Amino acid sequence: MRYIVAAVVVWLLALLDVSAMPYLKVLGVTPDFVLIFAASWAVVRGQNESLVIVPLAGFLRDLPTSDPLGTSVLAFIPVVLLASAVRLRALDSQFLPTVAVVLGGSVAYGVMAALVLSATGQSIDWLHAILRVIAPLALVNALFAPIVYLPLHWLAPAPSPGILGPRRVTSPL
Amino acid sequence: MRLVWWLATVVAIGLVSIILSHQGTTDPVRNLSLTVTSPLQGGLRDIASPIDDFFAGVTDRGSLVRENERLREELERYKVQATQRQDAEQRARDLEAALGVRQSRPGDQLVVANVIAQEPSGVKREVAIDRGQSDGLDEGMVVLSRGGSLIGTISRVYKDFAWVRLVTDPNSAVNAQVDPAAPAPAQDSGSQQVLTPGTPAPQASPTPSPATPTPSPSSNPQGDAVRGVAEGDLRNGLVLDLLPADAPVKPGDLVVTSGLGGNYPRALFIGSIKEIEERPQAPFKTASVEPATGLADLDTVLVLVSFKPARLSGP
Repeated sequence: MRYIVAAVVVWLLALLDVSAMPYLKVLGVTPDFVLIFAASWAVVRGQNESLVIVPLAGFLRDLPTSDPLGTSVLAFIPVVLLASAVRLRALDSQFLPTVAVVLGGSVAYGVMAALVLSATGQSIDWLHAILRVIAPLALVNALFAPIVYLPLHWLAPAPSPGILGPRRVTSPL
Repeated sequence: MRLVWWLATVVAIGLVSIILSHQGTTDPVRNLSLTVTSPLQGGLRDIASPIDDFFAGVTDRGSLVRENERLREELERYKVQATQRQDAEQRARDLEAALGVRQSRPGDQLVVANVIAQEPSGVKREVAIDRGQSDGLDEGMVVLSRGGSLIGTISRVYKDFAWVRLVTDPNSAVNAQVDPAAPAPAQDSGSQQVLTPGTPAPQASPTPSPATPTPSPSSNPQGDAVRGVAEGDLRNGLVLDLLPADAPVKPGDLVVTSGLGGNYPRALFIGSIKEIEERPQAPFKTASVEPATGLADLDTVLVLVSFKPARLSGP
């Protein structure tokens, strides 16, 4: 059931990305809510679920865009790897790891997507793509991460006592 | 180990999908997806547009923006008429001089389309429209704004939908010329009407009037058009490149299609020169161009189906 809910949410966010979000430009780019959702899910819900949800999010993200189908499936792979890496660290809060994964995932996504476009015959001005698209996108996605992270965090099942111990006071985030 | 298997599987699926997508095998899936989602996307765009106006400024800024947009469209139409008239007059003079015949421009057939989506990735400038192969669209066809200026070409076409590559996309290049003798926008009563979305309908382009040409102060002594290539650019939006270093162009000059190469009709209005960049010793200079129409918030476009680009009519 949770996979179906996640798929529906991703689909709606993908539609939002191509319809309404282009009106909202911050630093010349629009936030990518599908990527933020995939990164947040991967950190909050763990690796098992992210192995399914993240590629699905990539596929659904490509459907309403002009990118070749499968571009985001490939470009979202680093999100899972980054999320797995940050979850290895014992941190009180999942918020900062989420922001870190959104930042890193956005950069990796931008580079991977540009590589795929380049391989399919599109010309890419790498310097401008990095300076004017990829770097601003990473910052803007990180800025918008709390909008997606907080609902996911509140709806997530309570974490079991881990290596930090059950009595430790943890951050509300 | 499980992660390695997952990685291999997802990479394989991704690569196969990209190859199939590049070959067009997945087009029916995307067409179905756009068919299902286009009403919702239209609704979201309608909701977002006033929100965008709200965030753009204070209370009545939205209506000012709309009025400004309307006035810009009106001005754009006048400029289109002026450039078309000037081009037609020049052509008529050339033909009369060379062949002794008069040239008339055939009526253009246009299909009205609604913009339903915009490419979200920052490295491309494309919009999706709700017309496709079933409406007679084909890849490479020229797309105009409601006011009649060039906004791009069809880059990908599905059965009922198509993607339009805007002139500001880094992969867009249009043979263009700066009209050195372009007159000031004419206050012509025979202006094109703003078209509204609806059934595809043939529309005739305004017939060039036989008015006497009025050279502007920007005319060069020879009266020749200065040719260049209008290219999309991530930094400046639209630039006119490969202009001769001694070309007499200045900010405000109008940029139109030259028709060279056969992929665009002649004298389609593209925009006006905003700024000129000159480098010492360089054989060419570059100019940034202000597109004739606001490309960030397009809602209705016209596809020129009566003009067959050279890339479509070739062997």
